Amino acid sequence: MTRTLRLAFYYLVAMAAVIGLWWGASWLLETTREREILPSPWVTFRAAVANLGTLASAFGSSALRFLVALAVAFLLGLPLGLVVGFEPKLDRYLSPLIYLLYPMPPVALLLFLYLAFGLGEVVRLVVVVMALFFQVVVAAQGAAKYIVPSHVTSVRSAGATRWQIYRHVVLPATLPSVLTAARVSVGLGITMLYIAETKLGLLLGPGAGLGRFIEYYTFRGDISLAGVVGLALLGLLFYVVLELLERVLCRWKFVGARGGA
Amino acid sequence: MIEVDGLTLIYGRGGTAVPAVAGLSMVVDSYELVSVVGPSGCGKTTLLFALDGLLAPTAGRIRMHGEEVRGVRRDVALILQDAGLLPWKTVRANAELSLRIQGRKETAGKVLAELGLAGFEKRYPSELSEGMKRRVGIARALALQPRVMLMDEPTANLDSITREHIQNLILGLWWEMGFTGVLVTHDMEEAVFLGKRILVLSARPARVVEVIENPGMGEPGYRGTPEFVSQVAHLRQVLGGNGP
Ligand SMILES: Nc1ncnc2c1ncn2[C@@H]1O[C@H](COP(=O)(O)OP(=O)(O)O)[C@@H](O)[C@H]1O
Ligand SMILES: [Mg+2]
Repeated sequence: MTRTLRLAFYYLVAMAAVIGLWWGASWLLETTREREILPSPWVTFRAAVANLGTLASAFGSSALRFLVALAVAFLLGLPLGLVVGFEPKLDRYLSPLIYLLYPMPPVALLLFLYLAFGLGEVVRLVVVVMALFFQVVVAAQGAAKYIVPSHVTSVRSAGATRWQIYRHVVLPATLPSVLTAARVSVGLGITMLYIAETKLGLLLGPGAGLGRFIEYYTFRGDISLAGVVGLALLGLLFYVVLELLERVLCRWKFVGARGGA
Repeated sequence: MIEVDGLTLIYGRGGTAVPAVAGLSMVVDSYELVSVVGPSGCGKTTLLFALDGLLAPTAGRIRMHGEEVRGVRRDVALILQDAGLLPWKTVRANAELSLRIQGRKETAGKVLAELGLAGFEKRYPSELSEGMKRRVGIARALALQPRVMLMDEPTANLDSITREHIQNLILGLWWEMGFTGVLVTHDMEEAVFLGKRILVLSARPARVVEVIENPGMGEPGYRGTPEFVSQVAHLRQVLGGNGP
């Protein structure tokens, strides 16, 4: 509990620091260029309050979109990554394919995705899923490749089926690194979300996502910036949720003299 | 009863093939505890994996209670070198792991208590001492109430006090539970303390080079006796003649 409180305190301090820096930058730009360039935190806050309904709706839509994309990326990527990493035969055949596709940015395919899926909700999800999917696959595969053989032997000796080996050994052994990778990928995911919501969200209103919100108010710096802050908070939210998930699901990692190593 | 006849185990094929066991034959009577001693890397773990049904023989055969071994058997339990505990499972979940995999509903509470692990059920392996981890590994095997126990260096890398404690524990459990046991070790004193017979293996690829009868074995007090000391000396001589 004190740990959680201390962590919350650090986040508060960090947030205060960011706001301080923001204020400084805003003031510096305004005095040197003699006009408002970066709206100050206070101005932005007022703009946010004035447009609270739209902003909240945009935040909710983006959060839901990101959550669905993350869930789909896990549901598809985790089994694939684990199987490819754990079964040497599949590893040999599928790894080159994965490594070939992995560095390809979905942004570069936006035109084709648009032609294939149109401008509906599906295409926006596909872009974010594609970005997160490969992160999950590569993390799961890497972790599954280095599973301690004696852990597998201990369940095989009891007569475990293939499914039981995955359930008792492969999945729990790899979960910490997969969750860490997912956490690290939140930044990339949010970027892709922004791109999906702006480039593939032309027909939407400002309440349909933070990306759209930011784009819609391009000529109102203060409102637009409130959307950017929303996007940052969205990233933070998922980062924290994934960290908590890791603490709950991988409790064994956080106990013991050597931190469970 | 375990009968091994001309067992050969080779890892890999072709130019990179590693023969680990070559034409090994041995018999372990029912309710007998036999120790298998040999230099490091000679093929002891490989032999145990084959007895457990984890590795199929390249040649030769293994029979348990008259049936040919063709995969893992529910009446055989293996205690892995370094216990093989799963770090993400608690002591209790580790001890009950084999039971659960076999779909059995029994619990390991009693066995854990008997091995002095009561109160530690909710701990994770990283929170335990080395000796406690080994006892959890033993509990996992005992919980199955197996007819045959295969033990892979159960006291390797332990301090001498803990080692003697675990050796006494195994001896006591053998009396109490009446299993047929094969205990693999590279420790000569352990081989003499825990083997009614001692099978001495050659360097890799392993085969039996000598069988030492050890009728005095069976009491914790055996360790201090002149007979024990002379058996260890004899074993040392045999291993010295065939050792690395
Ligand atoms: N999976 C494997 N593939 C190839 N060689 C192996 C494998 N496992 C063990 N070996 C080799 O077989 C020999 C016997 O190993 P092992 O049975 O573990 O020896 P011990 O338990 O007596 O120390 C060693 O030389 C080891 O390097
Ligand atoms: Mg070994």
